[in-house]
Amino acid sequence: MEAFDGEIQKGALRRKSDVIFVTIGTPAQGFPRLIRKMDEIAGRIDEPVIMQIGHERCRPRNAQYFDFVSDFTEIKQLNARARVVVCHGGIGSIMTALEQGTPVIAVPRRMKYGEENDDVQVETVDAFAKEGLIRAVDEVSRLEEALGQTIPRREAISSKDQLITCLKEYIEALDKAHR
Amino acid sequence: MELMRLLDAFVGHELFLVTYDDVIARGMDTAPIRSTYFIELGDENILLLDSLPQLFLHLIRVAVEELKILIKERPDIIVTTGSEIAIPMCYMGKVLGKKVIFIESLSRVHRLSRTGRLIYPVASLFLVQWKPLTEKYKRARYGGRVM
Repeated sequence: MEAFDGEIQKGALRRKSDVIFVTIGTPAQGFPRLIRKMDEIAGRIDEPVIMQIGHERCRPRNAQYFDFVSDFTEIKQLNARARVVVCHGGIGSIMTALEQGTPVIAVPRRMKYGEENDDVQVETVDAFAKEGLIRAVDEVSRLEEALGQTIPRREAISSKDQLITCLKEYIEALDKAHR
Repeated sequence: MELMRLLDAFVGHELFLVTYDDVIARGMDTAPIRSTYFIELGDENILLLDSLPQLFLHLIRVAVEELKILIKERPDIIVTTGSEIAIPMCYMGKVLGKKVIFIESLSRVHRLSRTGRLIYPVASLFLVQWKPLTEKYKRARYGGRVM
């Protein structure tokens, strides 16, 4: 299928729920396990699929795709627009989707498949799924089933206020000690 | 990306940013930041270097660039979430009497990142976003999360 050239309206973050957005982030490793399965699913379902394929060399046949964007706003817009995001377990991808309030299905990259340098994504995805924020899918054969189900849609584990206060207090204590 | 969500913590202080050339870094809202320095990663992507000796060699070049920034800007505090390019800055900063605040990524639940492990010895404040890490690392504090 042709590369996605974007009908992105600048400045608009609008939910249309008319696409599935697949994203595998920027790691140097490809993620053929996820891209191939989602491409296969895209060929079966009616719903359009748009994929950010990063360094993955396999080109989808049933979905529009692009590798990277030069303006990150485009990624935010695709997240805002999508009915659901299917992503690798990268914290950036998960956070971006949650910030836009979009349901997330996360497939952690596995070191054993050469998809990442370590299994941090397994930890991340597991922890977020336990908090009820995302749906974790480890085996891509279960993706199609997950896409048909209702996915949790909480926006955050907690607010960032606590962390901001913690930093402020530490810095203020340093300021005082300096005077 | 995580650090940019915390800029409110530094209101009233002058901020400059050191980062590597990356579209996500470029796309962030950096309004409170006075100036930004981009560190070139070069042909060898240091983020992929598994062995510490290889990483060390590449960080020497980064260290020279960062030392120039340290001398020019003279920060009081260095705040970082990583990645590896932060290591020379934190060590040099510590030697020069700066305070180092490290915030481990929200992705790290049970094990620290390599950058976290390497900066842990010189951090004045070492924050983690999941409580299990405070059990493993005695100086790590749970201070909340970026989201």
